[in-house]
Amino acid sequence: MASLQSVGYFPDRSLATAVHLAMRLGRPLLLEGDPGVGKTELAKALALITARQLIRLQCYDGLEQRDALYEWNHAAQLIHLRAAQSQRTPEEIEREVYQPRYLIKRALLQALQTPSPGAVLLIDEVDRADEPFEAFLLEYLGEYQISIPELGTIQADIAPLTILTSNRTRDLNDAVKRRCLFHWVQYPDRARELAIVRKQVPEISDRLSEQVTQFVQRLRDQPFKDAFSRAPGVAESVEWAKALVALDTLALDPEIIEGTAGVLFKQRDDVSVLTPMLDELLAPET
Amino acid sequence: MTVSAPLGDARHGKLADNIVGFARTLRRAGLPVDSARIALAQQSLTCIDVGQRQDVRHALASVFVSRLQDQGVFNELFDAYFRNPDIAKQLMAQLLPQAKAQRHPPARSSRAQEALQAPPVRSNAKKPSDKEEKIELDAAMSASAAAHLKQADFESLNASEYKLVEALAREIPLPVPKVPARRRQQATQGDQLNWSALMRSAARTDGDYLALPKRARRQTPLPLLILVDVSGSMQRYARLMLAFLHRATRHTQRAVFAFGTELTDLSRAFKLRDTDQMLSLSNLLVTDYGGGTRMGQALVDLRHNHGRQVIGHRTLVLVITDGLDTGDASVLSEQLGWLTRQARATVWLNPLLRYDGYKPLAEGAQTLNRLVDQTLAIHNLNHLNGLALALNRLLRQVR
Repeated sequence: MASLQSVGYFPDRSLATAVHLAMRLGRPLLLEGDPGVGKTELAKALALITARQLIRLQCYDGLEQRDALYEWNHAAQLIHLRAAQSQRTPEEIEREVYQPRYLIKRALLQALQTPSPGAVLLIDEVDRADEPFEAFLLEYLGEYQISIPELGTIQADIAPLTILTSNRTRDLNDAVKRRCLFHWVQYPDRARELAIVRKQVPEISDRLSEQVTQFVQRLRDQPFKDAFSRAPGVAESVEWAKALVALDTLALDPEIIEGTAGVLFKQRDDVSVLTPMLDELLAPET
Repeated sequence: MTVSAPLGDARHGKLADNIVGFARTLRRAGLPVDSARIALAQQSLTCIDVGQRQDVRHALASVFVSRLQDQGVFNELFDAYFRNPDIAKQLMAQLLPQAKAQRHPPARSSRAQEALQAPPVRSNAKKPSDKEEKIELDAAMSASAAAHLKQADFESLNASEYKLVEALAREIPLPVPKVPARRRQQATQGDQLNWSALMRSAARTDGDYLALPKRARRQTPLPLLILVDVSGSMQRYARLMLAFLHRATRHTQRAVFAFGTELTDLSRAFKLRDTDQMLSLSNLLVTDYGGGTRMGQALVDLRHNHGRQVIGHRTLVLVITDGLDTGDASVLSEQLGWLTRQARATVWLNPLLRYDGYKPLAEGAQTLNRLVDQTLAIHNLNHLNGLALALNRLLRQVR
């Protein structure tokens, strides 16, 4: 926990426990949570403190095995085939064509073969990929190995520290879930968020940082929470703090909030709902 | 050789037993816990300080819980179990009488066991007088009748209806519009070379390629979101509509919700293959059958609890309602506006439209009429083929 904090990531105790277990047991860690709570940032922080290389696989609809695991360099194979056909026997050609040098390594294979101290593999927004893709992941997540029919099975030299993140736009397959440890990342409490804002925006004044975190925390709590389609995450509050500093703001007032509301909310409806609530939101704590 | 386990090792002794017991309790409460998980949990406790109650909780949670919905149940059971395991065991045993039988795994099958156990209980029990028996029966019936009022009663399909639904779904397929998917497949014309096929064909002809195999994007049907009104005015239509859609859209990705005064997720029922089973599970799930309609409120619920899972920019929304909404019109208009903005297209199926001279006078109907992309009259649901044909025509117009 302390080492994560030293690189500017402030986890709560439950998240720190989950990360500790993932590292000790060598299991992948599946992080779910609302957007902007720091799931991706955790992987970056882990790469920093373990001094491992961060390998990132951004998932998208239609992501295929050859984009994520490996692909044969067919063009080079064909050239070899043509060049060698007059001098070699078919068996020799076949053996030569399926060699690791004709293999294009993608993120998962790279992560397996990273030399010491290994890699941190971030499989980001795995819910964006389609269900067939999850099946490609199973062998990797369970055994840290990839089977290539022409070459055999490639096993990890050092098990990569694997982090999967999901925004829960759909439920993941149970087979994926049971190979992973699971943690639901929550919005940080006020003290932790204050620490994050101060760390990320060092030039912010104490007073403004307190006002920013208090304001954002109130937005996420009842009775204001239900009014918005999406509450701002930590990423948004940090961005907002940066925007306020850039505008040389000394203290929050309704005018400056209206002017910068676009940083906190990305929906027109939400911005228009915010305006009439401002007085209530800015009222001092009772 | 026996080596005494180090103190606090969760793989031996009392703590190990407790973990297994706790895991079994979780399993009975519906969490997917298998023995691999239990082993992992015991292993995980060797990595942390078991003296810290909160750490134990977090560690076990990260192993046993894999969905946000399960977190609450886990916390309750953790509190109950690790305060006093006996209390929790008793509690579970009371809740589920069959749990006792599991302690001694029966050599016979459970059905046989039950059959053999049942008679002694009856013969031992004092035979109740006729009067007492009668009172008991009455109480049972009144309770079930009360419960029944709230539940939906979609009757199971009779034989001819079943055949009709099957035949229609087979003969008049719903042409859900197709769009290019992100994945590719072998095609005669395409925008990318199929390299692996090229390699194979070249190997067959000594390294020469006679044709260039191509890959094109696959076509995939738009995902569906189906919203069915189960309020009083729609009672007659809801059942056959559900049955028909269940069969007709079985190859399409779909999310199904019923709404009256509240929103019910029927997707679980629609996962069942058999239409009758789907209807009977829907009966259990729907608790606001035959009441009023508050579509706006139902959409608020949909937006907050399921919005990101079921609606995307490709979703085709089918709303099946008569538009006689008793809720707040401004809420309906706001939420429906959101729905139509999010979705690819919104189609309204209206049973009232079949009357000559129907005008959307009700406020809800006006809102729907204003916001949706297409409307369709459900002519006569007793003649489902008319509906299937009309839906077929309508979906051809959706782009």
